[in-house]
Amino acid sequence: MLDFLTSFSPAFILIAAGVLAAFIPASNISSPVRKALLIGAPALALVLINTTFFSQNQSTYLGGTMSFAGIELTTLRIDNLSIIWGYIFCFAGILNGIFGLHEKCKITDTSALIYTGAGIGAVFAGDLITLFIFWELLALSSVFIVWRGGPKSYPAGMRYLAMHILSGVLLLAGLVIYGRATGSYAFNNIGLDAPGGWLMLLAFGIKAGFPLLHNWIQDAYPRSSVTGTVILSVFTTKLAIYALARGVAGTEMLIYIGGIMAVFPVFFAVLENDLRKVLAYSLNNQLGFMVAGVGVGSTLALNGVAAHVVIDILFKGLLFMSMGAVLHRVGTTKASELGGLFRSMPYTAVFCMIGAAAISAVPFFGGFVSKSMIIAAVFEDGQFIVFAMLLFASAGVLEHSGIKVPYFAFFAHDSGKRVREAPWNMLVAMGIAAFFCIYLAIPGPFGGMQYLYNMLPSEVAGEAKFIPYSADHVVFQMQLIMAAVFAFALLKRVGLYPPERRAQILDFDWTYRRLGLALVKWISAIWSRLGAFVTYMLKKFFGMIGRRIYQVFSPAGTFSQDAPSGIAAVLISGMLAAVLLVVYFF
Amino acid sequence: MSDNKPTLSPQEIVDRAEAHPAAVPFLWLGSHKTQRNFIYIPLAGMIIFSVLGFVFPPKYPTLWEYGLSYAAIGFFSYSFVVLAAHPLFKMLSRPENYYGEDGEELELEGDVDNGEGSDA
Amino acid sequence: MDLLSLFPEWVLVHGPAAIVVLPLMVGALIALSPSEKLSWATTWFVTGLSGLMSLGLLLQVISHGPIAYAMGGWKPPLGIAYSVDGLNAPILLLISVIAFVCTVYALPSVIAEVEPEKRSPFYAAFLLSFAGLMGMVVTADAFNVCVFLEVSSISTYALVAMGSSRDRRALPSSFNYLIMGSIGATFFVIGIGFLYMQTGTLNMMDMARVLQDIGPGDRVVQLAFAFIVIGLGLKLAMFPLHTWLPTAYAYAPSFFTAFLAATATKAALYLLLRFTFTVFDPSWHFISNALMVIIAGLGILGMLAASLQAIFQSDIRRVLAFSSVAQVGYILLGIGMATTLGLTAGYLHILNHAIMKGALFLAVGAFWYRFGITKVSDMRGLGTTMPWTMAGFTVAGLSLIGVPGTVGFVSKLALAQAAAENGWWWAIGVIVLSSVLAIVYVGRMIEQAYFQPVPKINDKYIKRNEAPLTMLIPLWTLALASVAFGIDSHWPTSLAQGAAQVLGDGPILLVRETMPAIPAIPSTGGH
Repeated sequence: MLDFLTSFSPAFILIAAGVLAAFIPASNISSPVRKALLIGAPALALVLINTTFFSQNQSTYLGGTMSFAGIELTTLRIDNLSIIWGYIFCFAGILNGIFGLHEKCKITDTSALIYTGAGIGAVFAGDLITLFIFWELLALSSVFIVWRGGPKSYPAGMRYLAMHILSGVLLLAGLVIYGRATGSYAFNNIGLDAPGGWLMLLAFGIKAGFPLLHNWIQDAYPRSSVTGTVILSVFTTKLAIYALARGVAGTEMLIYIGGIMAVFPVFFAVLENDLRKVLAYSLNNQLGFMVAGVGVGSTLALNGVAAHVVIDILFKGLLFMSMGAVLHRVGTTKASELGGLFRSMPYTAVFCMIGAAAISAVPFFGGFVSKSMIIAAVFEDGQFIVFAMLLFASAGVLEHSGIKVPYFAFFAHDSGKRVREAPWNMLVAMGIAAFFCIYLAIPGPFGGMQYLYNMLPSEVAGEAKFIPYSADHVVFQMQLIMAAVFAFALLKRVGLYPPERRAQILDFDWTYRRLGLALVKWISAIWSRLGAFVTYMLKKFFGMIGRRIYQVFSPAGTFSQDAPSGIAAVLISGMLAAVLLVVYFF
Repeated sequence: MSDNKPTLSPQEIVDRAEAHPAAVPFLWLGSHKTQRNFIYIPLAGMIIFSVLGFVFPPKYPTLWEYGLSYAAIGFFSYSFVVLAAHPLFKMLSRPENYYGEDGEELELEGDVDNGEGSDA
Repeated sequence: MDLLSLFPEWVLVHGPAAIVVLPLMVGALIALSPSEKLSWATTWFVTGLSGLMSLGLLLQVISHGPIAYAMGGWKPPLGIAYSVDGLNAPILLLISVIAFVCTVYALPSVIAEVEPEKRSPFYAAFLLSFAGLMGMVVTADAFNVCVFLEVSSISTYALVAMGSSRDRRALPSSFNYLIMGSIGATFFVIGIGFLYMQTGTLNMMDMARVLQDIGPGDRVVQLAFAFIVIGLGLKLAMFPLHTWLPTAYAYAPSFFTAFLAATATKAALYLLLRFTFTVFDPSWHFISNALMVIIAGLGILGMLAASLQAIFQSDIRRVLAFSSVAQVGYILLGIGMATTLGLTAGYLHILNHAIMKGALFLAVGAFWYRFGITKVSDMRGLGTTMPWTMAGFTVAGLSLIGVPGTVGFVSKLALAQAAAENGWWWAIGVIVLSSVLAIVYVGRMIEQAYFQPVPKINDKYIKRNEAPLTMLIPLWTLALASVAFGIDSHWPTSLAQGAAQVLGDGPILLVRETMPAIPAIPSTGGH
């Protein structure tokens, strides 16, 4: 049994569970079964990944090979890089399942399972074709989650889908060119010099939210449902980081892209009123750190990226969950409408603050042990400009996620809203995430930091050994945090802190949502003027062709009449003459 | 315990009744005085850690080798981000329904469960 | 596991003769059978046995190379020789498996469509037709090919005519087929006659040897080639010579249409390959010209014109029949490239098209069996009233379009790769265009079945009325095969590569001195 289960990618188990979930009717009696699938399938996958990898002694496990149209596919490659993503994706799948227990939505459950499966499948893909298949499945399954946000999420979902299909097409084009040129579809370090490398970088970049390609994150994520946003925040972007780390690690350009990516969302996050959108910008900002780490590409940097992916999924999930709980109870996450909620939702408030502390890299909270590794790697690489940008971004993180989100939701001016505490299942999910946010950052024999560090792709030992809890590191990190909090308190006190106002903040998506739309409208206006004439001509032209085709090919047409045998015989003679002509004289 | 203080204002009694039981001991967090005096905590923290910064010099010897440096970075970066928000808001903000998709409320109606009915 | 060791020795030795003689003899016997059930069971048994023997032969060919069989102990070139090699063994297996699967289906279908007193002769004629096709494929004697061609053709005319109890139009269409088929057979015989005149032998390998001596310049040899191509072109429904096919397919009994569509044209295609590549020499100037201009050219024409015709048909079977002509075009295009990749792709499509078109015609027969449906417009709501049948139809239909994960995709991809290798980029365009046309004509039917409401009778929706299991099992066997070989195409591809290798080796020459025990045929195999 175990042999059978480990003979293919665990992604298929999740996808099969998702298909099964689609057939379980949405009644009160049967939904526990579906919920059991939702939590059980990722748990099973987690166990299988572990046993598959550790039941053998190689550093890379290759399995699940199948042949598709003559090309050998490796659907299961577990090595010390991919296994981290595999673990955390499964774990996040379980947490999402718990968080969504109260919800009786078949579509979310089904697509969440398939989406999780596609993420895991893509991470374990040993070749580019498998990666592409799961890459597209990821987009297709997740768009249904976006659409769960109600009618207003449809346009955003369509834009989301368009971006991701574009990403898939770029990946396909890249991999075809790459495979043609090199004769191999293996998914290893590709590099930008390889043919098709740029196309694939662009494909990864869309999913990773590179600057100017990032708008789909802030556009689609905040519009999904309470649980939908939590599910979405985990997989797509982290998978892109994996693809970058696997395919183009050490590309210097990525360091600068990552720096810009870490800095620019900070400014938008301050302006934004919707706290879930603030978190979406903050997601982008954290991805910037990871992209910069991938760009450096040293052992320390890649370790930092892997650790930060784990921690980021935990704390970003936690923050999105807490905002989901607020949305679930209050019905809005606009900072201007919230405030003082700690009176009604004290546990949610505590969990949210733990998440905020983790993302702000307060010592003994998650971010402190992972983010600092990336920053140190950037420094050691001699990239002082990007190093400064990342420090600036760290202060910025404090602003939007560390202070703004918990402060405006739970403290600030009392909005007078009195609601009930979040449902128990949400509290459990948040509690687990919060526990790991702290546990994984605690050093020493009783803490979990050793487990996190032991899991990293390259042994954190020797020269590359990284000790987060050095006195100077703790002190200076605390200086940064305390100074920033002080700045917040000061600005607030002197009244320079901008008030929360409801508004639409323009971002780069203005170019296609407004400028592009205006262009299309202008063209269509011109077109409609030309239209009458052109349509007439086209109709005439195609009508003529259509009639001709019909006359020739329809059952009553020249071609399809049952030719009398005599005519057929003449035809045969004609054919014979034609063949003879070719044979004799060509 | 503060619960047993006999001198509760009417407003406080209402607040206590409305709040989640676990939040009752922490209601002081919401008071105006607390929010106003909060500033002293980070100020004290900043001063303490700045002093400590001279005791434990940073690992990376650079321009900002002085004990205060990170505090300065934190303070100025943060202030810059927040102050930049004013001109940026003037430049980038538009009415909420600018793209014609969001209508009055962005949030969902069907999914809201404010706990007035029975809890699932 | 060694499957081959499961077959008794005599199957491997006498199999080539047994697969032809057995159905021929039994066919003659069951014409007299008093009970149609008995006839059916016998037919079922015989086709099954032939299938097993064909499998044995195929395995033998794969592992030990070609098999030669001298009829009655007379050594070739004087005696009639049968031979099984990498080229015809898969076709033998294909014909007998399709016959076996279709026979399961025949039980309900024949009862519904053929008058009681004609049922035993019906099975007898079917066995004759089957024996004829097997004989055409297995024999290595040119005149013997003519004989079996006639055996299968004449029984086919009779079988098509038996559709008259369902639709009277079967009679004129059978007559039309008879005239055309006879002209084709005559042309073929004339071609063989010319060859005999020039070579003085009828054994194909011997013929090839003498032809090598004569060389490509001989006018009579060229004339013979032209006659053979046209004669076979008629039989295999090469594009402008296909006019007999749509009506024959449309009015023959359902079960026989499925068998005919899946196998008859395939046997003729095999003969075209056999003669062009191993009797004549494809390196000869006039052969390569004819391949490129006539075979590939007409293939392309057929792909487009017949697909267009399929779009405008109102009768489901005629849609599928025209689609068959178009699919023959794909195969001819592959053959016309005359490269290893092209031949592999064409041969693969021979196998794959038989599977999917068989499934489609079986499903259509089931539609008629339950609701008397023959028109595309009558397919409304079939997705609800016959969900399993319609699902099988849809799977095979998607395969016909060439959706990834189905056999249709595998062979179209192989064909496109072959065209690319050959530098025929325009051919890829035609393949894509023809696939788009296939989407239209298949989509039209699927749209009717799934997106149109179930029709009402007396203000009540028609109830669900699924086809019987004896129909569903054969249908789904083929439909699942089309998916299974679409996902793992290793086995059919290796068979096609083996066949292409035989063709690529060029003419097989009979070396008279060393012939007696083991033929001097280059060893070929699937792997």
